[in-house]
Amino acid sequence: MIGFVLRRLLQLVPVLLLASTAIWAMIYAVPGGPIGAIAGDNASPEQIAAATAQFGLDRPVLVQYADWLWNAIRGDFGMSIRGRAPVLELIGQRLPATLQLAVAATIVSLVIGIPVAIASALRPGSWLDRILSGWSAMALGVPTFWLGILLILVFAVELRWLPSASAYVPIWKDPLGAIRNLALPALTLGIYVSGILARFLRASLVSELRADYVRTARSKGLPERQIVGVHILRNALLPFITIVGLMMANFIGGAVVTEAVFTYPGIGRLLIQAISTRDYPLIQGCIVVILVLYIAINMAVDVLYAYIDPRIDYR
Amino acid sequence: MRKLGSKTLSILGRLLASKGSALALIFLVSITLAAIFADFLPLNPVAQKLANALKGPSATNWFGTDELGRDILARVIFGARTSLVTAGGAVAIAALVGVPIGLVAGFFGGWRDAALMRFVDVLLALPAILFAMAMIAVLGRSQAAALIAVGLTGIPSFARITRAQVLTLRKRDFVTAVEAFGGTATYNMFRTILPNSWSPIFVQVVVLCSVAILLEAALSFLGVGVPPPTPSWGEMLRTGKSYLHEAPYYAVLPGIVLTLTILSFDVLGRALADLLEGRRDAVIAPKAEEVTS
Repeated sequence: MIGFVLRRLLQLVPVLLLASTAIWAMIYAVPGGPIGAIAGDNASPEQIAAATAQFGLDRPVLVQYADWLWNAIRGDFGMSIRGRAPVLELIGQRLPATLQLAVAATIVSLVIGIPVAIASALRPGSWLDRILSGWSAMALGVPTFWLGILLILVFAVELRWLPSASAYVPIWKDPLGAIRNLALPALTLGIYVSGILARFLRASLVSELRADYVRTARSKGLPERQIVGVHILRNALLPFITIVGLMMANFIGGAVVTEAVFTYPGIGRLLIQAISTRDYPLIQGCIVVILVLYIAINMAVDVLYAYIDPRIDYR
Repeated sequence: MRKLGSKTLSILGRLLASKGSALALIFLVSITLAAIFADFLPLNPVAQKLANALKGPSATNWFGTDELGRDILARVIFGARTSLVTAGGAVAIAALVGVPIGLVAGFFGGWRDAALMRFVDVLLALPAILFAMAMIAVLGRSQAAALIAVGLTGIPSFARITRAQVLTLRKRDFVTAVEAFGGTATYNMFRTILPNSWSPIFVQVVVLCSVAILLEAALSFLGVGVPPPTPSWGEMLRTGKSYLHEAPYYAVLPGIVLTLTILSFDVLGRALADLLEGRRDAVIAPKAEEVTS
């Protein structure tokens, strides 16, 4: 098992290295180079020279790259140009907000997705089943930013139950306040993916329902509730774990749009600010951190899957 | 050629036979026509009438007016042009780069396969929206940048689908026959295998249109897509969001058109996958679920 985990970790190295090199090279290739952004568009030649020397941009490309990579491995992405603070510190301030939203959204999508999937798998062709297939088709088509706007209109503008802009309130400090602030963004993300989740789970439930062990269980006279609840669900949930993991990874990296709709102070909004102010060290830092989290979660899911499912050979 | 024409007609006929895909097709055709002939319609997307700002839907302004008194319906129709051009260009880039990658990787295998597919994996290492944003950070904000950024995120799906198709055809008799008669690899890839791979590629084109429109709108919504004077759906939702109290229709109505367009491409893609390849519940658009979460 340890060998399996180590090997998976080793496989990650080239992907991470290639992707971070690509990110670095992209920024290096910016027309006018990062220096234009640092010194400002109206900088005099002297100012440009000073900034070039200060940030070490006059050194050979490979030296600059090696230096950046070595620092990045140690978690040092340099100073934010606009924020005048270490990039990692700025990201660290935003990360808890993003993680809290990711967990909340995952819970919402499971709470909606699992019961719907079970109900529709047990009665294929029923009205619930037909609603589900329409729902999952819609889920892919309705943009989250529009869904979020509709939710704000109903719950914040009309009913005035919830705030239209969500602040980050740590759940251990003020659980009720945290839930009030998380409700709309988590619902937006949750509604969006619950259709996809439900469809995957439904498909694996339906194939399990046809399995021999189900017939055996029925012929033994086991109550249907026990067959579904204990035997089938356990097997069907296995492939489902992968989907849930992928989804969480996406919430961390890809909740940029939802964070923007609710002006939620997560890492996605930090990245948008960084892009609009051309703060290149911050852009690099945000993307590399998201990338690492994204890949780490994917790997954790793989390992967990191999651990839970004894049929997977992890030697 | 005649044979191809009749085949196309029969597929079109079967598409129209289903209510869902017929509606989707009608909607897309009308929105495309409106976008093409927008200049001939009695609509002006830039005429400002400040006295008339933020007025709700009426007989003269069916979708109401925006914060500068411009007609929202006109901006939605001209915005369709922006969306369709950007999405179409992006899908073209994705196909023109992705299909040859898949052809070469699948045909030769070995180190070429490994190298090309690792390159594709790197494109997949980040969620599409982040990758597109990073590209725009480099290229600067413009319609061309949005088009390229969205296009690059679509390369992996074309590469993978083409490669999978090549792998199933590679050892078929008609391919090895061309090889035996001394046909070059290039001839074999582009003249023998590619013509037999059109249907999954075509399905992917339709599906990716919906993803590209969604992604372009998301970028504009974030304020990094097509820059402001050009009307775009994402930008309208972005501005409309600031006027939710005074003018709820401002964000809601363009959003309906955007959603219907995305859904229509999606419905058509599924229907085509079903018709051309018999994939009923195909896992379509591998990156769709992460595009705008």
